[in-house]
Amino acid sequence: MPKAPANSAVRKADPVLQSLFDVQEATLPNGLRVRLLANHDTPVVSLYTFFQVGSRNERPGITGISHLFEHMMFNGAKKYGPKKFDQVLESNGGRSNAYTSTDMTVYYEDFASDALETVLDLESDRMRSLRIDDDALESERQVVMEERRVRVDNDITGTMDEELGTLIWKAHAYRWPVIGWEKDIANITRKDCEDYFRTYYAPNNAVLYICGDIDPKKTLALVRRYYGDIPKGPSPVPVLNAEPVQKGERRAEVRHPAQSPALMLAWHGPAARDEDTLVLDIIQYALTKGEGSRLVKKLVYETQLAVSVMVDWGWRVDPGAIIVYLELKQDSDPRKVEEALYAELARVATEGLTERELQKAKNNLRADHLRELATNSGRAHAMGHYEVLLGSWRDGLTLPSVYAAATNERVKAVAAKYFSPERRSVVTLIPTPDKTTDEAADGAADGKDAE
Amino acid sequence: MATRATKKTVKKAAAKAVKAVKKVVRKEESAPAAVKLPALHESTTSSGLKVLAAQRGVLPLVAVRLVLRAGSSVDPADKHGLSDFTARLLRRGTAKMSADELDETIEFVGASFSVGSSEDVLSLFVATPAEHFPEMLSVLGQLVREPSFPEREVELARERALAGFVNDLDDPSVVADRAFVRALWGDHPYGHDVGGSKAHVRTFTREDLVRFHRERMGPRVALLSVVGAVSPDVVAREAEKAFAGWEGGPEAPVELPPADMKTSGRIILVDKPEQTQTQVRIGGPGFRVGHADYFPAAAMNNVLGGGFTSRLVNEIRVERGLTYGIHSYFEMMNAGGVFGISTFTQTDKTREMIDVTLAEVAKVRAKGITPAELKKAQRYLAGLYPLRTETNESVASVISDIRVHGLGDDWVEKFRERLMEVKPKQTLEVAGKYLFSQPPLIVLVGKASEVKKQLTGLGPVTVVPASDYE
Repeated sequence: MPKAPANSAVRKADPVLQSLFDVQEATLPNGLRVRLLANHDTPVVSLYTFFQVGSRNERPGITGISHLFEHMMFNGAKKYGPKKFDQVLESNGGRSNAYTSTDMTVYYEDFASDALETVLDLESDRMRSLRIDDDALESERQVVMEERRVRVDNDITGTMDEELGTLIWKAHAYRWPVIGWEKDIANITRKDCEDYFRTYYAPNNAVLYICGDIDPKKTLALVRRYYGDIPKGPSPVPVLNAEPVQKGERRAEVRHPAQSPALMLAWHGPAARDEDTLVLDIIQYALTKGEGSRLVKKLVYETQLAVSVMVDWGWRVDPGAIIVYLELKQDSDPRKVEEALYAELARVATEGLTERELQKAKNNLRADHLRELATNSGRAHAMGHYEVLLGSWRDGLTLPSVYAAATNERVKAVAAKYFSPERRSVVTLIPTPDKTTDEAADGAADGKDAE
Repeated sequence: MATRATKKTVKKAAAKAVKAVKKVVRKEESAPAAVKLPALHESTTSSGLKVLAAQRGVLPLVAVRLVLRAGSSVDPADKHGLSDFTARLLRRGTAKMSADELDETIEFVGASFSVGSSEDVLSLFVATPAEHFPEMLSVLGQLVREPSFPEREVELARERALAGFVNDLDDPSVVADRAFVRALWGDHPYGHDVGGSKAHVRTFTREDLVRFHRERMGPRVALLSVVGAVSPDVVAREAEKAFAGWEGGPEAPVELPPADMKTSGRIILVDKPEQTQTQVRIGGPGFRVGHADYFPAAAMNNVLGGGFTSRLVNEIRVERGLTYGIHSYFEMMNAGGVFGISTFTQTDKTREMIDVTLAEVAKVRAKGITPAELKKAQRYLAGLYPLRTETNESVASVISDIRVHGLGDDWVEKFRERLMEVKPKQTLEVAGKYLFSQPPLIVLVGKASEVKKQLTGLGPVTVVPASDYE
């Protein structure tokens, strides 16, 4: 749960970052929050709309509605009917996309700066009066099913990830995949979508970030003109985190045609706002950032047990998970790889990092942070990301100071706390033989002995 | 830091200037605001390496790109993947430093080195905090001047690559891309994956790498671009230090034979029986980079299958829900190019997908696009073009491309003007030329037992196992 930072004294805004973020802020009477950042380097603008809703706000029976709904937002509103959104946007020199995660749904446009008013007209139209009709819903449902097939059913990591989610979480909505269960996607109704829209797409549940070649004052006036009359919605029901404490290691197997075994592991982690989150960032960097990082060196180069190793410590509103994915060699024994991995994690918990490794992780976090802010889109996205996950975009400016103050004692304590077997879930991919169609086998006898 | 105060001031001043200019422009007409590259400064090191420097940006970062005209098209005939493999091994040891020392030197400061391989060129990318630019450029110099290719590192990398080939078979889109490249280009130097294949990589020895480095990688076929928070004087000085004494490589880039694509309506069906979806690739000849057809083709393709409102997306995704993604593209290389379409659909819809796609292509081939569609495409492509000069990395890419492919130094500045000049008639001409006037090659990856029976009457079908593409 969010708590007072243990070392809040070190939190101060980074001067380089602060000079980049000369942001104008406003809140409209209907609750819509607006953040404006001028940058006249190139004649383009990025607009991000963050809705504070994701699969975390769903319930069994309609899992995947956040993502399906994200698709529906492109299917027409009152002023700009079906297909018009992208047609009008593109013909004015703009492009759009969107994504849904467990915690947020994000829409964004990059466009030539003279299209600003048109884009605000388009975006406010769909926030005010989206049209949800049965035909569009049916067609979009098929598209999402196809997306599910490509991301999960025909993708081994997708399949493993889905299995892992249900191991890690027993009660929390993080348990199901963002794209939703197949049968739930098939059963979501128009009424479900309408209810969902009223609650979660109301202006008081959204924040606009506009970065680029803009005049902030005029832009704010335009935002007021286009969004001001959209009525406030009901407050969304708070998400209850009913996740019980894990009592011991959880394991599952996935049997699937594949060339080599693989491992996907997770440990229950903290929420984004928890100070431990930033220490885990440092540990993640020390473990897998770069060729000289601990796990890459040990598992890929020295022991050659793995072909690749990846750590994904994704910040979330509620306590998240630290995920490790290992692509193995055909003859690797997954159990041996697990042991080698656990030994490395235990070493961090008992010995910590070297001072040089600690400094290296901090240097890389800073460099990556700066690179992320090189574009209008990067700046707008970063602000939204920090505001959803930390409560304020300004907290993003203080991250470098918190990283800089992290000590090896904290690294040890955090590693010891989170990388324990009681917090662990493990999914092993067991390759099963591929039943090749007779004809293909006949047609290419010489292809076969490549094995 | 003194630099911080300076940058703040500069930014504000620049902002004012731009605003003033824009006002004037808008009064006249809605012509797009000018897109300009930062000033380019050229120099040549004593070893003969050409250097381009451009100072820009408020962030204390620098991007470096070293391009070598030694891409996969110069791989020896029995050593496919050698160019890429050699480039990746550069950082596994030099005369002065071991792999561990290199990793530590680069990664400690928060810099990153990476390799990009294509058919025509190898690119070594460096992204570094500005204060470490001299040290990182010096490392880059060592990598290309005196790599040691330690025996053991070569062996380990080969083992890892071989394991990677095996695991790649689990990714249907990778298999589809490989099958497509191989079938489309045949024996041409472009006819293999840049990463090579299992059978070839298996034979790589240290001597192969040493020879490739000596014969193919040298200053006269290279170009260094440096963009970011560093002055051109510092770039020229540090480049001289880093690359002095670099020798070897050819005098000039290798000339490739012209493309001779045989598509003729063949269908390659790669069997992956566990799939519930079919990966689809359709293609035929396009044109080389820098070709005069570029602008009309770019506009025409945007309408057919480029943007999110393209005819293909509309017919296949929006109207029929057959896929999550479909796009068409022109891939342009030095000796030729490809016009292709890439998508996927559920197994039992494979035929419908192909038929609808080919019908849409045929419509544009016969009738072209409407003037309104052309206008939309022009405004779309022109409006977003400035994004290509938004970061140090993208500027470094565009300035090297201009030089390597001879696009002309006014390429960026004139880009939108040339695009806006395209006439409907030209788009019809390029559609007639490139949109499968001869039957295209079709590559499908999926469950052959279910897919094959849907293909009746479409063309000659060859079924092959996925293991052919290791």
